[in-house]
Amino acid sequence: MNIIAKALATTVFLAGSAGVHAETLRMWGPEQITEPLIAELWNGIKADFEAANPGVVVEFIPPTGTISNGAVQAALQSDVGPDVVLTNSGIGRITVVKNAKQIIPLTVYYESRGWKDKIYPWLYDELKGQYGGEIYEVPDGLDALGIWYHKDMFAEHDWNIPATWKEFVVLMKAIQDKGIQPLAVGPRTPGSAGHLFGNLLQSASGTLNVGKALRGELAWDDPAIAVGAVRLRELVDAGLIKKEMAGLDLDGASRLWFNKRAAMFVAGPWFTANARKAGYDLNNAGYLPMPSDISGEAKPTGGVGWSWLIPTNSKQPELALKWIDFMLSDGIMKKRAQHAASTMLYPRELKDIQPSTPVLKEIFAAAVTGVGYNPSVYLPADVVDTYFQVIQGLISAQVSGGDGMKQIQSKMAVVR
Amino acid sequence: MSMRSREWPVALALGPVLVLVLAPFVWLIVSSLKSEEEIGRADPFEWPAKLMWQNYLDAWRIGGFGELVGNSFLNVAGVVMLMLVTCAPAGYALAKIPFRGREWMFYALIFGMTIPIQAIVIPLYQVLSAVGLINSLTGIVLAQVSNGIPFGIFLMRSFFSNVPDELVEAARMDGASHLQILTKIFLPISAPAVMALVIISALSTWNDFFLPLIVLISPQVQTIPLGLVRFAGTYASEYRLVFSGTVISFLPVILLYILTQRRFTEGLTQGAIKG
Amino acid sequence: MRVQALENIAGGAAETSPPRKWGLLPASHANAGTAFWLMAPVIAVYGTFTLVPIAVTFLLSFTNSAGFNTAADFVGVENYRKAMQDPIVWQALWQTVIWLIYHVVLAGGLGLALALAIARLRRSQVFFRTAFFLPHLVSLAVVGVIWANIYDPFFGLLNTALVEIGLGSWTQGWLSDPSLVLFSVNVASSWQGFGLYMLLFIAGLQDIDPALYDAAEVDGANGWQKLIHVTLPGLREVMTFVMSLAMINGLKGFATVFVMTNGGPFYQSELITTYIYRLAFQSQQHGLAAVLCILLSLFAITITVAFNRWRARMAR
Repeated sequence: MNIIAKALATTVFLAGSAGVHAETLRMWGPEQITEPLIAELWNGIKADFEAANPGVVVEFIPPTGTISNGAVQAALQSDVGPDVVLTNSGIGRITVVKNAKQIIPLTVYYESRGWKDKIYPWLYDELKGQYGGEIYEVPDGLDALGIWYHKDMFAEHDWNIPATWKEFVVLMKAIQDKGIQPLAVGPRTPGSAGHLFGNLLQSASGTLNVGKALRGELAWDDPAIAVGAVRLRELVDAGLIKKEMAGLDLDGASRLWFNKRAAMFVAGPWFTANARKAGYDLNNAGYLPMPSDISGEAKPTGGVGWSWLIPTNSKQPELALKWIDFMLSDGIMKKRAQHAASTMLYPRELKDIQPSTPVLKEIFAAAVTGVGYNPSVYLPADVVDTYFQVIQGLISAQVSGGDGMKQIQSKMAVVR
Repeated sequence: MSMRSREWPVALALGPVLVLVLAPFVWLIVSSLKSEEEIGRADPFEWPAKLMWQNYLDAWRIGGFGELVGNSFLNVAGVVMLMLVTCAPAGYALAKIPFRGREWMFYALIFGMTIPIQAIVIPLYQVLSAVGLINSLTGIVLAQVSNGIPFGIFLMRSFFSNVPDELVEAARMDGASHLQILTKIFLPISAPAVMALVIISALSTWNDFFLPLIVLISPQVQTIPLGLVRFAGTYASEYRLVFSGTVISFLPVILLYILTQRRFTEGLTQGAIKG
Repeated sequence: MRVQALENIAGGAAETSPPRKWGLLPASHANAGTAFWLMAPVIAVYGTFTLVPIAVTFLLSFTNSAGFNTAADFVGVENYRKAMQDPIVWQALWQTVIWLIYHVVLAGGLGLALALAIARLRRSQVFFRTAFFLPHLVSLAVVGVIWANIYDPFFGLLNTALVEIGLGSWTQGWLSDPSLVLFSVNVASSWQGFGLYMLLFIAGLQDIDPALYDAAEVDGANGWQKLIHVTLPGLREVMTFVMSLAMINGLKGFATVFVMTNGGPFYQSELITTYIYRLAFQSQQHGLAAVLCILLSLFAITITVAFNRWRARMAR
């Protein structure tokens, strides 16, 4: 669509709502507003927005689900849906609601409202490349997945997260010898399975190769990328990751970690919320990217975690845009980043902020040089289901690395 | 009587079975009184340091249970009434009125019983949307009743089949219309079957999650199961609220069952008329 | 009278009922008219909210629809071909059958066993009946959450209890072991489901004429023989009804699997229903999902009809 057509469409869209004077902005989200700390933060944000926009009331709709279980689509399709949405995103999920024409393209606002200067340049470029120039989301939080470990446990046993993969396996054996589980994982929660696996792929093959595989330019059963799956299977066969974990979900796996029966766990900044709930002393949490034999590839993996979307049938598109401006503003971002309930990486660099927990500092520091791909976020919807099942198959020792990757590839081949 | 003296051994022998069957309940209730940290420690034999009755208050307040409970009651009331209005007459017609196409009608209903709701949920959504009933209790009631009609008719028809045809014939000869026969003769004696239908419909409606997830969008019309899911997030859930919320949602159902359980069991007998 | 009543229930399922006295109530136009009005509410609701969606689903199976508002092209029997060639479909179908059998045996069996145990109790019957029915009051999703916790291999009630009583070697990966997972999840589902069957069996047992037991006693029959020769034959009709019901319920099993394993690990607990759900909601392949719905339905009807034929044959 050329610029003029787009501008016309936008004008029509906004004009259609210009006459509306009902000043309630209904927002889908945030998750877990039922938790007091999160409620405190968001009610504060709501109050600030209402103060800055007299006559406006913000109403939160507690989410009943995500795009993955159809709850968002059901809400967006109805006439009583939200005016702006904050939900789990990533190209796989966004494609679903975009194809269903349930959200509007936001490309033009990135220019006209200066959003493109409010997020990391690499992030903007990545978004631009996803739908041939059209952008449908505004990232709210990024994920950066790496290894969480117990500082006290490691100090006591004189362990260190090494720089290379080979040394990492040696470390895991040493941990196992002490009767502690080296690595916990909770594959029943699909995201969790992908976190570990994404880290392994990144460590084994490097960002470039993973990117190629995600774009369909490199076959998943090509040895260059299959090695990550093979390694996972090797870890399981060596007992370094117990097969029984295939039946655990993220809560079950994190329980192992919080109770110090497991030494390491792959998670992102959102894990601070889990830790808080479990009463774990966050000062004891350490974070480092998964080591890699390839120099420069020991990085966290991630991608867009949560984004803002504007529904096609939003009754308050103007307010929704103002809300997004507000959420992207320095004041609000700093406020969120420094709040105890802060659980994620922000979509732009925030100087001079002191995250409330030291481990978040470590995560931000690790992510500053860039993160690798978390495939769960980038794979097309058709493939991601097989992807998660294969990971479960590897952890329960039912399929070999090579065969598992072949299955993923066969789905990719159909889609790409 | 010889039977009574043999009752205690049986009751005692059932003790372990009782324990096994009720253990998950006990676990749930004990867990609902733990703090989030204690739940995190996940020691099934650990007794909470302090009984967190606060969890129940929090679940009620934070989850907006007041509204949810009201909606759930309305939902159940609507479903139960509509089920009776649809299934009783239809059950009677299928049992007592020979008409052409009766067998086909019955098969069409049985067919519906075999379709899982996941199968038709999106077209159902579109139908509801077309008549403007998305996000309304009316809409959800219609969808749930439609889903329950096969079993309801099955039940009513079976019960009515046992009423002797002579009764109908005699009434017809006295000049009664079928509607009069249904309301004046059949319904009064079918209290047990009606009770069974009421309880089964109420139970499945109260616990229904899937249809409300898709149909009820605004918090103002949502029912209890949707309230419980608000305590869950993508990566972290507030389990103390999930557990205590679950127990809260049980209580009305248990009460209903205890009050009506004798009639309910009678109804399941498809009890015949005495004599 | 009661036994015949139960026979009618059992025979009603997808087969012509036993010969009835048609002559007594002649079909007539007046009857058809009345019948129509009595059936009207059902036709209206069921027709609109079940039959129409089923028809749409059937049509969808011939398209490549990707959900709401997407262009759907007619693709003929392409989806049917894809479904037939998908190994997961066959695996899910097979596992659905296994699930069905487990459900009938576990839920039905437990229901029967407990009914036999408590039907003759006087003073404690109401207590036991209520206590054993409690699990049935819990929604299946919650059942999934509770049992997933119980099955946790490291912290769950089951494994820790086994260790506690010295049977540590019996601990398993209940939800991770491919050979156990379907069974484990079914135990949870049957825990919820047996209550209704138990009540049905109790009702059936109370219908058996006590005179038959007295006659058996006179003949010198012991407890076991009474069971085989009086009780079980007397329960034949109820058993048929319960089995039909259990089979239908088994085929529709979804919620516990979805919550506890989501079909995993690696499709080992995949049922047709869970696969349908993921195809529709996660992969947006609505045409393919529709095919599986049709498949499930045909399968259910086949099983029900076959079962009724078999039962009718056994009755002769």
